[in-house]
Amino acid sequence: MGIQSLMQVRTNGDGVVSRRTFLRNVAVGAAGFSALGWKDAVTLHAEELRKQGMACILLFMNGGPSQFETWDPKPGTKTGGPTQAMSTAVDGIQIAEGWTRVAKVMKDIAIIRSMTNKEGAHPRAQYQLHTGYVPLGAVKYPALGSIVANEIGSPDSDLPNFVSVGGQGLAASGIGSGFLGMSVAPFLVGNAQQLPNNVALPRDVNDKRFDRRLGVLQDLEEDFAKSGGQQRVEDHKVLYQNASRMIRSPRLKAFDVGQEKDAVRDAYGRTPFGQGCLLARRLVEAGVTFVEVEVGGWDTHQDNFNAVKRQQGIVDPAFGTLITELKEKGMLDRTLVIWMGEFGRTPNINARTGRDHYPRAFNVALAGAGIKGGRVIGSTNDSGTVVASRPVSVPDLFCTFYKALKINPRKENISDLRRPIKIVDGGQAVEELFT
Amino acid sequence: MCDPRKRVSYKLGWLAGILAAGLLAATAAADEKKSRLPKSPPADNVKITPEAWKTGPKTPATPREIDQLLKTLLAKDNISPAPLTTDEQFIRRATLDLTGHLPVPADVDEFTADKDPQKRAKLIDRLLDSDEYARHWARYWRDVMLSKATAQQIFLRAPRTIGLEAWLFDQFKANKHWGEIAREIITATGTLSLQDPADSGAAGFLAAHFGPDAANERAADTARVFLGMQIQCAQCHDHPFDVWKRNQFHEMAAFYSRTRERRFGMGQQAGITITAANAGEHQMPSLEDPKKSTRVDPRFLLGGAIPQDQPDPARRKALADFVTSRDNYWFAAAYVNRIWGELMGQAFYQPVDDMGPQKDAFLPELLVRLALSFKAGNYDMKALFRQVMNSETYQHQIRLGESTGQHMHFAASYPTRLRADALWESLVNVLGTFKDPPRQQGGRQGQLGAAAMAFFRGLGTTEGQFKREFGFDPSTKPDEVEGSIPQALLLMNHPMVNDKIKAKDTNLLSRILKSYPDDKDALRILYLRTLARKPTDREMEKCNNYLAKVGNRAEAYEDLLWALINSTEFQTKR
Repeated sequence: MGIQSLMQVRTNGDGVVSRRTFLRNVAVGAAGFSALGWKDAVTLHAEELRKQGMACILLFMNGGPSQFETWDPKPGTKTGGPTQAMSTAVDGIQIAEGWTRVAKVMKDIAIIRSMTNKEGAHPRAQYQLHTGYVPLGAVKYPALGSIVANEIGSPDSDLPNFVSVGGQGLAASGIGSGFLGMSVAPFLVGNAQQLPNNVALPRDVNDKRFDRRLGVLQDLEEDFAKSGGQQRVEDHKVLYQNASRMIRSPRLKAFDVGQEKDAVRDAYGRTPFGQGCLLARRLVEAGVTFVEVEVGGWDTHQDNFNAVKRQQGIVDPAFGTLITELKEKGMLDRTLVIWMGEFGRTPNINARTGRDHYPRAFNVALAGAGIKGGRVIGSTNDSGTVVASRPVSVPDLFCTFYKALKINPRKENISDLRRPIKIVDGGQAVEELFT
Repeated sequence: MCDPRKRVSYKLGWLAGILAAGLLAATAAADEKKSRLPKSPPADNVKITPEAWKTGPKTPATPREIDQLLKTLLAKDNISPAPLTTDEQFIRRATLDLTGHLPVPADVDEFTADKDPQKRAKLIDRLLDSDEYARHWARYWRDVMLSKATAQQIFLRAPRTIGLEAWLFDQFKANKHWGEIAREIITATGTLSLQDPADSGAAGFLAAHFGPDAANERAADTARVFLGMQIQCAQCHDHPFDVWKRNQFHEMAAFYSRTRERRFGMGQQAGITITAANAGEHQMPSLEDPKKSTRVDPRFLLGGAIPQDQPDPARRKALADFVTSRDNYWFAAAYVNRIWGELMGQAFYQPVDDMGPQKDAFLPELLVRLALSFKAGNYDMKALFRQVMNSETYQHQIRLGESTGQHMHFAASYPTRLRADALWESLVNVLGTFKDPPRQQGGRQGQLGAAAMAFFRGLGTTEGQFKREFGFDPSTKPDEVEGSIPQALLLMNHPMVNDKIKAKDTNLLSRILKSYPDDKDALRILYLRTLARKPTDREMEKCNNYLAKVGNRAEAYEDLLWALINSTEFQTKR
């Protein structure tokens, strides 16, 4: 009984704990059996986190971006191909040529050149780089965005805490909120240049008529509620209230990039990804906790060098402008920016002038949220075939994300099959990024 | 309402879970690998097979017998069962349960007016004979069987989704028995491709997994779907909540150790063939040294080995024999548990694919009797539907307890959310077919078969969008299926939905308003179309008040239709 009063979870008549309330209230892990009692410890910590207002923007490079043509060029070598290197705003750090906007803001960016992993198939690697776990049929691991939304997102927010821009393909690979449930599921925005699907009232329905409709809906639900549907009707009502709050939120216009000046929209680039990054900045500014923006086209099995040039045209202005704007608006300290794909590409250039999948050595870029920019972590050998120093695994990388966001990676959530699942299994944060 | 024994065991289980989790954390700093691995509960005195399975009646259970047995079981609990469903409620529920469709208003009227005392039984028979029955249940099992797929390339998803559904449809239409279906799936070979997905559809289940872990995944999924048991925890350590040991898991995987898949082609030419290797044994990795492993030979989870070095067809035939053996309680019980859960809204074991000798069940005596009945009928699925649906137990009204998760002990039916396919059918039934504007497909034409084309086209349409938003894993515990904001937004604001609600052109509402100038009739037909029932007197009053308030007949009816489509009841099976 003592434990129950501390945790105040709902139990039904058979003594079975409702999984949802359980998940919200239990924090088991390193915090453990502190003197304060679990609920107190969790509540205090959570409040603290929310006050800090940390946020995260994940720029996902779908397809596996070539490290040789991004942040780890090998000019003059056989594996480096024709790609040249360029200097950046930081002495001693060179990246592949053509990334001019990113080079300008290198003081704020940290590059990890020594990522190493085993998954070389798109769906498995994408899953792993989104959840930190290799796919296991039985457990639906939650994506990074869902964990972050669950840990530090405000549950009363009228906007979703996790927004995913341009990432519709990922849901099919089983990447979502997993066992954490609907409240932290990614809210999909297919097209960054228009409002999300179905948030606009239909043309012939104004606010007044919408209210009237909601009113008669509630009115007519009564009989069904009385004849055995009570709890269902109540859950439904809460859901519709949340949806209506979202439509009516004064913050909803954060979804409208059309409100930005042309010059700003041009700086990000008038591409879906560019406008998506702009949208991410607006959403984080409005208080959304986690925004993922995806761009495809990185799976350069053929014509790698021309293909990456095209990618560069899209990603360089977007990424560069995002960092610049976050800095200018004083948001960078509380916003973690992650640039990554599911793996890198082969040192060997194939017969179609392309590069194939290569998880053995690839790179990731990070900025914001206490990450010290202008530095490189780890290195690869001259030909880029193996990691030469300071290997970083996927669990290490995820521990780093959570350290920046002040989330405990050892905390355990209980899955729907009553298994305790740590936020990250193993791994150590890359401390050199923070000191 | 609460069996004290069950309450204690649940609380203990929960508490044990907390303590186990806490213990795991506390010892994490210490020897990480060793102390982390939980041991399974002692297996010495555990009966894998219930005694009653061996000694119980060997005859099919009649509906009356089911009612009697439940009455006896509930006598001590002093629970009064819910009243029987009205005819209106019954025809909606039975039609949704068997076909995933709403009954049309004419059928509802006819059924309620019919004086034949056998009418409910006859309705059940009619529904079981329909194509819609076969399609509805093919889709259910397709979703169940593919829900844990790990092979997610889009060009492989399409052929196995289309192929498996098509094959299952044929089996259900011909009323093949569950034992035969299980056998064909476990032993399936053949090719699934975008050009011809329906060929070798049975292989869709195995094709959901490939790669180095495929044998493990297939074994785990075979246990989940056909035995109702989650054994994959035991892949790495003894199962913390049930008797399965690690080597038992791998002995199951060994049945699949020579099953291979060959993926071929790219893009539109892609496909997968389930085939066999000539050699290969299953290796269980050592926990101490990941580079070491031991060879494991096939042995069935519930007992039963085969000679060594068997080729793939012999292994899988043996597995099919063991799984579908008439001695195997869990094969019969897993199927019955699921179907009972679908029909009653709550099952004996919940979640429905988390059964086992040490798991807690509600009223297991009834499950054993039904499993015996299913076996006696040689696993005839339509026979089981008939037995259950003709019982009074099935025909009770819905009732919820104090909390959504409370188990009603089958004294009442439990309201569940309609699955996406069924909900879409209901929406189309009310608003008519949705014609999305033609889109530029660009590059996908050519050699794709019609089914594959429809699959891909469907992804981008309103129907595709709708089914993506409203879809959920059918094995999820019903009280844990949640609505989402995009679902609500879709039904509230989708431009095409709203367009079809309007009282214009040939829309439903325009026809209703023209044909029924009297509001009493118009409201009646509106409710019949959307909720398959007549409005109550109170609802009539509320609607009439609303009509008066708004003043404009068309506008008011549009709002009412909107409210009915957005109502809880529209999405609920009651």
